[in-house]
Amino acid sequence: MNDEILFAREDEMEALNLDDAVDSQKYLIFMAGHLKLGVIAEDVVEILNNQVITYLPMVPDFIRGIINMRGQMIPILDIRARLGLASQDGDNLVVVINLGDVQLGILVDGVDQMLDIPKVNIHPLPSNSTQMLVSGMCSLPDGSGTMMVLDCEQLMPND
Amino acid sequence: MGSGNEILDMYIYETGTLLEQLETIVLEAEKADTFSQENVNEIFRIMHTIKGSSAMMEFDSLATVAHRIEDMFFIIREGTMSVVSEENRPALFDVVFQSIDFFRGEVDKVEAGEPLNQDIDNFLSNINTLIAKIKGEEPPEPAPASPAAGQPASSSKAAPPAGNGTFSHALRVNFEDGCGMESLRAFMVVTAVRDVCSEADFCFEPANVETDPSTSEAIIDQGFLLMFKNTQDRESAISVVKSAGSVRDYQTFDCPPPEEKPAAAAAPSPAPAAQASPAPAAQAAPAPAAQQQHAKETLISVNLSKLDQLSAVVGEIVITESMVTSSPDLKGLNLDAFSKSARQLRKLTDELQDVSMSLRMVPVSSVFQKMTRIVRDMTKKLNRPAKLTLIGENTEVDKTIVDSIGDPIMHMIRNSMDHGIEETQEERISAGKDPVGEITLSARDTGSEVIIEIIDDGRGVNDEAVLNKAIRQGIASPDVEYSHKEILSFLLAPGFSTNTEVTEFSGRGVGMDVVKRGVEELGGTVSISSELGHGMTTTIRIPLTMAIMDGMEVAVGDSIFTIPINNIQATMKVAAGEVIHDSSSGEIIKCQGNFVPIVRARDLYQLQDGCSDIEDGVLIWLEAGDHSYCLFVDELLGQQQVVVKQLPTYVNSFNVKRYGINGCTLRSDGSISIILDVASLYTAARGM
Repeated sequence: MNDEILFAREDEMEALNLDDAVDSQKYLIFMAGHLKLGVIAEDVVEILNNQVITYLPMVPDFIRGIINMRGQMIPILDIRARLGLASQDGDNLVVVINLGDVQLGILVDGVDQMLDIPKVNIHPLPSNSTQMLVSGMCSLPDGSGTMMVLDCEQLMPND
Repeated sequence: MGSGNEILDMYIYETGTLLEQLETIVLEAEKADTFSQENVNEIFRIMHTIKGSSAMMEFDSLATVAHRIEDMFFIIREGTMSVVSEENRPALFDVVFQSIDFFRGEVDKVEAGEPLNQDIDNFLSNINTLIAKIKGEEPPEPAPASPAAGQPASSSKAAPPAGNGTFSHALRVNFEDGCGMESLRAFMVVTAVRDVCSEADFCFEPANVETDPSTSEAIIDQGFLLMFKNTQDRESAISVVKSAGSVRDYQTFDCPPPEEKPAAAAAPSPAPAAQASPAPAAQAAPAPAAQQQHAKETLISVNLSKLDQLSAVVGEIVITESMVTSSPDLKGLNLDAFSKSARQLRKLTDELQDVSMSLRMVPVSSVFQKMTRIVRDMTKKLNRPAKLTLIGENTEVDKTIVDSIGDPIMHMIRNSMDHGIEETQEERISAGKDPVGEITLSARDTGSEVIIEIIDDGRGVNDEAVLNKAIRQGIASPDVEYSHKEILSFLLAPGFSTNTEVTEFSGRGVGMDVVKRGVEELGGTVSISSELGHGMTTTIRIPLTMAIMDGMEVAVGDSIFTIPINNIQATMKVAAGEVIHDSSSGEIIKCQGNFVPIVRARDLYQLQDGCSDIEDGVLIWLEAGDHSYCLFVDELLGQQQVVVKQLPTYVNSFNVKRYGINGCTLRSDGSISIILDVASLYTAARGM
């Protein structure tokens, strides 16, 4: 039964590919300061709001602490602080993403939209850019701005 | 096959539990070199239960062996331990241990669905020889002798239907045709009747059903006769008989028309030697259940994954409960009835959480007990007297840990016996030691981890021998100078074994590295320390992942921390004047005659809020290992049993453990408290 669905999807995708001749990816786009950042939607586990974040001492400033998501401890990374933007208090929205076997909550200003973006539309950063944690850029089709693709791998501590 | 399987599972589980009990008793008894009357009764009961349930399941070989052991203990019970002469005692203990192994092996086969070992004659004749020795007779014929010791064998054939004198009210019980083991079934009826009627108030014919299987024929012919002094006893006995297994019908002699009891089902199997088929097993079920009711603790085994599921759901319930009851929508409303119900709900969810937490925790004693047996067997085989001392058997750890530490501990114990304890007593005596070697197995819970130590007082590790061996094995390089510690670490390297000969117990070249791998799989560490001539200590440390701990919750500003109760010596409020300031702006306080430094949690963790005046907060005097200090916090929130959760690996990668941030726990309102490790907290504070 599962196989059928799987094949159906593959068929659909093939049809899509043949029709549009593009390979596309769904992105969840959220805001951090003036930036629009995108993460691959498949990696997003959950979007939570108004979480009580427990402060954790002795960790870098960009780790706000941990939250309890149904008994699971999820570290919360303040994406503004991580990118060197001014931190902001007030309502918080946490996008929980799955990176391999690690779950990480990203504290963002708000969620913008979910969008299918053809891979060819994602361009590399200008070679002299000093922008951290971003692996590509893409102009949004609705003209509302530019999405930066967040490189989640880089969010992991390098040990 | 469904119901048959459940009964089989129950049989396997119960027999396993009984064997464990039995082993504990025998090990204890062997130390004392005698069985107390209490022990004998207990063994008698255990063997009896095994015999009964095995017979019901039609595992006849098991029933027969149990039966003989029971016979043996019957003699001992009647004549007390004094009937067993000194020289026969070791043989007695051996036989009991052999029988435990036999039962275990057979039960394993039952579990695996393999055919049972029907060839038990050798073993039986061993037991018979011993029984004969105990009775001071010559070894009997190979055929099972009828050991009528203590109990007069009354004539079994043609029992007089009329009661004799005092026992005038008779009850005749007929078993189902071909149900097998009639004598045994009869005896089980007697045992059950004993529960409702005092032994002096009834008698039965044939009287030696318990000990003589040949009475079965008489029972088939004549029925089994119970005779009572008065009718009330008989009435209660009838209800017992009704609930007994395989009873076809019964008659009372006072009222001639026999009451027919609806028999469970037609008896199918041609009893003895037949393998258990599900049908008779199912049919036999009520009997063991009824029989064991009075003696069994009510234990069931549960799949661990169900427990995991349960803890997860309970965790969510607790959180949801607090979300509902402290919902902002309720603010400002006058909700007396609601608050009352909410309080009740809180109480119940708390209770639920406690219960679900405790479900997974089991004491390490089951693992530790097994080691006693291993030491005992090796003592015999190697002829090296040694005793095993157990400390902290009641330390509770997560079930998964208990399941996995058995093998590592066993390897270390075997290793200590094989390589540690000196080969001869003379060697020990000349080294100024007790001729009997000592191995200590201890467990303790530090709040953040379980520490298991295996200590022997044997030869210790010979650095030179180990190094030479390591070089031969290519693990060490001959050109490098190794420290004592490094040499000891070779012992844990794969493929290293100091013993040149392969022995039955250890020295197969595997061993220590298996220990290391096993423990590391649990997230733990193994370390060895040793001094030549003074034995060896192996320390296994395993983090208490899902473990439960008693903790003191304290607040510092907005943060809440949990400190293991074990580490807390005292808590106190002090006046500013009592604090002694040293030259390096450190603070010291005098606690019960000791000068101990003060660590301010707020400063250490650079928290924004929190008390700064020493008089506003509380000092907690902590001790861990060699460290002793006072932690200054804002207030104590109370003592709490908590489930220790690991911090996310992402967080741990920032080395927070170095600062004493060891784990976290969910509070009853769903918020998180951070668990502190007292020792590393102090190390961190001193380093700052």
